[in-house]
Amino acid sequence: MIDPAWVSVLSALLFTIGLWGAFTRKNAIVVLMCLELILNAANLQFVAAAIQHGDATGWVYAIFAIAIAASEVAIGLAIFLAMYGQHESISLDDVNLLKH
Amino acid sequence: MGTTTDIPEITSSFTEYAIFIVLLPMLAFPVILFLGRLFNGNETWVKSAKEGGLIALPIMVASFILSLILIVEFIGSGTGSYYIGDWLSFGWIGADGMTIEEKVFGVGIYIDHVTVMLLFVASFLCMLINIFSIGYMNTDPVNDNRNHRFYAEFVLFCSGMLGMVLADSFLWLFIFWELMGLCSYLLIGFYYERPSAAYAAKKAFLTTRVGDVFLVIGLVMLWNMFGSLDYSVVFNPDNIAAVDAGELQMALGMMFIGAVGKSAQFPLHVWLPDAMEGPTPVSALIHAATMVNAGLYLVARMFPFFGAPAMAGELVDLAFIIAAIGGITAVMAAAIAFVQDDLKKVLAYSTMSQLAYIFTGLGAALWLANTPGMEKYAIVAFGAALFHLFNHAMAKGMLFMASGSVIHEMHHAHHDVHHHDDHGDDHHDDDDDEFDAQSMSNMGGLASKMPITATAMLVGSASIMGLPLIGGFWSKEGIIANAWRVALEDPRFFLPAFCVLLGAAMTGFYMSRMWLKTFAGKPKTEVAEHVHEQTPWIPIPLVTLTFVTLSSVILAGMMFTHWSSDSGYAFFSDKGLIDGLLYEFEHVFLNHDAFYFVLTYVAIFIGAIVGPGVAMALYGGALKEGEKAKGWMQPIINLSARVNKKRGFDNSAWAESGLSVALKERLYFDKWYDTAMLKLVAGFAVLCATFDRKVIDGTIKTIERSSQKISLSVRKLTTGSARDYIMMAALGVLVIYAMLEVMI
Repeated sequence: MIDPAWVSVLSALLFTIGLWGAFTRKNAIVVLMCLELILNAANLQFVAAAIQHGDATGWVYAIFAIAIAASEVAIGLAIFLAMYGQHESISLDDVNLLKH
Repeated sequence: MGTTTDIPEITSSFTEYAIFIVLLPMLAFPVILFLGRLFNGNETWVKSAKEGGLIALPIMVASFILSLILIVEFIGSGTGSYYIGDWLSFGWIGADGMTIEEKVFGVGIYIDHVTVMLLFVASFLCMLINIFSIGYMNTDPVNDNRNHRFYAEFVLFCSGMLGMVLADSFLWLFIFWELMGLCSYLLIGFYYERPSAAYAAKKAFLTTRVGDVFLVIGLVMLWNMFGSLDYSVVFNPDNIAAVDAGELQMALGMMFIGAVGKSAQFPLHVWLPDAMEGPTPVSALIHAATMVNAGLYLVARMFPFFGAPAMAGELVDLAFIIAAIGGITAVMAAAIAFVQDDLKKVLAYSTMSQLAYIFTGLGAALWLANTPGMEKYAIVAFGAALFHLFNHAMAKGMLFMASGSVIHEMHHAHHDVHHHDDHGDDHHDDDDDEFDAQSMSNMGGLASKMPITATAMLVGSASIMGLPLIGGFWSKEGIIANAWRVALEDPRFFLPAFCVLLGAAMTGFYMSRMWLKTFAGKPKTEVAEHVHEQTPWIPIPLVTLTFVTLSSVILAGMMFTHWSSDSGYAFFSDKGLIDGLLYEFEHVFLNHDAFYFVLTYVAIFIGAIVGPGVAMALYGGALKEGEKAKGWMQPIINLSARVNKKRGFDNSAWAESGLSVALKERLYFDKWYDTAMLKLVAGFAVLCATFDRKVIDGTIKTIERSSQKISLSVRKLTTGSARDYIMMAALGVLVIYAMLEVMI
């Protein structure tokens, strides 16, 4: 049995990588992937905690999060498609209309 | 705080309706205004209803009849009050500064001899002036289709005066006082398209406002001392004994300044002559029936304070100030009246002068009331002052209406003479500005052409001058005698006493001058030759008032001047008419005291012989060949012609003199006030503007500028880039986490 602490470390690592990617990358799809990483980091943490405490609530949360992540991807990709139709690009640097 | 006096409560049936004396005209105000708006220009409305005049008339008649019933009842039962109900109640910090006391402002009426006098004067004259207005206003083409406004404001004005007189507390007095102030503004500015009228209205309003500020201060001080403004509380001798005399004198002095403003006394007199810009019925209303009497009424109301034993000798300074202001104004106004050419302006200054007599009389009465041992004279002096108020109101109301009649007919005659202009009948005033229908230089010789008006003017002038046996003679004698009576005791009073004596001669001169210039001599213009008495309605009040003024001798015989005797509040003396007359004759003409005996004849001599004599020498003259005035006026005109011929002298040197010019300029008061006000107001305005620009604008601009700066720098955060927002969100979460850590 792996010590849950290590799982937490892995989860934190994944979260950091995801966050870092979301901050730095220009490509919207990569940013979406990074967000998925962040979500999975959270799932991992839920599962680890569920195992450690012997409580099923964590599992339930993880399954919810996976479901939400799936729908999120669907919406996100749809948005990127629309974005591409508008800008001929999915680079986040081109999407700065909020500034104005 | 205080106990109330035992003023008997009157509970007869009529007293309960007394409130309608005030309410009827007040309710007529919106009715006339509304109907006038509805039927403006309608044939029936103009011809049959006289644009509201015939709605106002029954209202005023009803008010007058109710007043008469109330007066008759008063004579039967004496001083009383009738409490109608609570109006306003509120908490007030009690005497100990800790508890909250409940204070109640009530509504009620209060009746004593002063009320009764003013009530009769106001309701009677309002009714007569209403009749006069129907003749005057409704044939005046200048103001077609807006007379309903005149009548509406007129009835409101009357209700203000009647309400003020009947009020049972100084608070209600003040409310109605201000109602009159408003109405005077509206009515003086009735011809608002004329800039001079608009200016006069503003001036009247603002000048009286200066006095009103002091009145409010006085009332607040009074409230502070007594904890109430009800007459029943403040007139209670026990309550008066409990207050500080110096403070009371201060409060009453402040209230007196309010009266000075309202009654147009020096130095707040400047508005009255300009108030002539209103229609003539308004002048009559302001000068005789309502407005200016309000100030006198207020001072007369103070009598119980001076009569209270606890205040004996404490308030004589204020009494002196009242008399002195009166004395100064009496002479000053009379002097200015010497040189006025405008018929109405002469009357305006005459009003100021006569009101000043009443103030002097009241001052003397208050001094006597306040001095131990002299109280019995106070009643007589007080009665004389009030009787002069009565006589002056009747005579001045008549004089103004007569002058209105003259001016009106002059207008018509001018219109007839200059019929050739094709401008049409309406608004004929616009194109004859060069002709002044009010200037006495355009009149002359009207005695044969306007017999009723000339007679009314003659009787009114005689009453104002104090020709023996006519109207004002009785009261003026009383005022002069009592002023001198006080002067013998208190040397300061020599000033007002001498002023009123001198004023008698001056009155004799300027009133005679006015009558002679208008009615005697040959017509000075073509217009004056074509004048006729032709307007309906106008003669009714003139004739009525002529008889009232002439019958004033009966009132004198009924010891009218003794009516304020507080022994059971007798209205008239219990002597019979003949006995009273005999007593009065003996008292006035054959006084056993050598001093008053001489004084009376000196006053009669200078007032009835010297003054008119000089006027005859200067302005007298026979009528045109073949014309003859009525039998009672012809001898006077003949006499004036003879005096003029024999003693006529050239007065052009006087007319050119500096004094004459100064008098024409009204002693420069208006100029001084304008300059001082300009300096004061302009200086203050500059100060305010600087404060506004520097402090208020500065603060706001600083706030605005700094917020702009902050927002500019904050705006930079909004990059529009999604990654920056993610970063911010992450940082925000971190911050929240850190805060939770710290707090937990």
